[in-house]
Amino acid sequence: MPPKSILKKTAVSADAPPSARPVNQRHLDLALHHANIIEQRKTVEQQVLDAILVLMDFPTAPNADPTRPSASDALCFCESVIPFQPADYDSLIEERNIADKCGYALCPRPKRKAPSRAKKHFIDTAKGVEIVDRKVLEVWCSDDCAKRALYVKVQLNEEPAWLRQGGYGDKIELMVDNAEEHRKGLPLRLKKGAATPPPPKEEDIAAAWAARDDALADLAIERGETPGRLSKTSKDLIQERIKERVASAPPVPPSPSYGPLLMVIEGHVPLSRSNRNESTTAEKGDDEDEDDRDWDKHLPG
Amino acid sequence: MADDRENYHPNLIRMWRVYRTTKEMCRDRGYQMLDEDTQISLSEFAARYGREDGEPDRSRLHFSCQPSEEMMRKYTPPPSKTEPDPKPDIGNIWVEFNSDENVGLKQLRDYMQHLINGSFYSGIMICMKPMTGMALRLLRGAAGIQEGPKGGVEVFVEQDLLVNITKHELVPKHVLLSREEKDQLLKRYRLKETQLPRIQVTDPVAKYLGLRRGQVVKIIRKSETAGRYASYRWAI
Repeated sequence: MPPKSILKKTAVSADAPPSARPVNQRHLDLALHHANIIEQRKTVEQQVLDAILVLMDFPTAPNADPTRPSASDALCFCESVIPFQPADYDSLIEERNIADKCGYALCPRPKRKAPSRAKKHFIDTAKGVEIVDRKVLEVWCSDDCAKRALYVKVQLNEEPAWLRQGGYGDKIELMVDNAEEHRKGLPLRLKKGAATPPPPKEEDIAAAWAARDDALADLAIERGETPGRLSKTSKDLIQERIKERVASAPPVPPSPSYGPLLMVIEGHVPLSRSNRNESTTAEKGDDEDEDDRDWDKHLPG
Repeated sequence: MADDRENYHPNLIRMWRVYRTTKEMCRDRGYQMLDEDTQISLSEFAARYGREDGEPDRSRLHFSCQPSEEMMRKYTPPPSKTEPDPKPDIGNIWVEFNSDENVGLKQLRDYMQHLINGSFYSGIMICMKPMTGMALRLLRGAAGIQEGPKGGVEVFVEQDLLVNITKHELVPKHVLLSREEKDQLLKRYRLKETQLPRIQVTDPVAKYLGLRRGQVVKIIRKSETAGRYASYRWAI
């Protein structure tokens, strides 16, 4: 007979897979909710990185003119910088500078060269002579490009893209000389209302319903629930039905108490005091008067 | 020795130390390396890699290494049913000393492309200054990108390699365990790997050894009472 083990018999060994305990649905939901938020953030960061990789090699044509960019380039640029924060835009400029290009993504020219390789330079400005870092000098190809690039930067949303709510701030305007061309490049949206004859009644109703749905969708966006995206307030985590806590009995006011019970201190009735109270209710006023003058009784004079 | 050093440019001496540490790092990881390489003297280094103006010529410093037999064995996962003849998770490495003042996405992508073209398994890039934030972001996600090499790219800053940190008396010896040894360890102590103490892959020694997530290192410390004391860390 083998020797009997003195160790406790454990139900599960250390190597066994975790026991199939029923998962708490609420905990699971909470974990998934937060995991999804992190996932969303990672996606946005990847998106920004991809955009920078593309914009580093911009513009597509080597002889493009930053003042009159082609419509496709401009559109692509505008769309890619929407998820950017200003800091991301700075990184884009930095990366372009390392690649020896002008910081403005729509400009094909190389960046300006400082007059010498010294770390600091004296520069004549309107305010007088200033000492400027060489790095600052070598960001743009010209002041014009700097203006155009910063025109975009100030429009960027400071809030990280994964926290943004609703659909505002997703329209970036460029500073271009051929603005009409770009507008023409966009899909045309013609107003049909005046041209079409008044529709029959059924369609009217359908249109009304559609308008209502549109309005609801707009409201949802306003609330921050972007379609296809997680809203910050997950519906699953909020209980649909609110349970009222029902009291079993109506509240009872404390029973009024008179006489000796008035003197009760935490359930204790001081005996001597209550006795005296009963016997000397009439003299009470005098008593108090005497007590009031207690203080000067012992004083000299 | 002291007056000998005065004959050389400080940048050259700096580069010599970085070069030696890099070679030692490759040797400690288990790549094939001659002793002469890790103990190259300053005068020899200057003769081989110095330019006429006294500065080091970084473009001539690049080298590649092959893993030794032992390292191949260490990195080979134990055979399983689905994979009866496993391949080692290691291969040739390419070490490059970047001479650009600023390293950004462009250089990193070129480097990755070079690794792919040379069919290197992994790479180490040593740059003069820290990389840009976006390049680091690309590196962090590089394990999942198809364009990068299989074994990933590691980036060091020259300043971090001036001194070989593992030679410091307060740094205990770290030994990487093979998959088999790891399994034995877990069996011996009846542990799951999650129950081991951990070490971050960004830890200086972990970076020196090029640890990957999931590997286990044995740390051997001196102990006043026991002589030696071994502990284990799970890289995370």
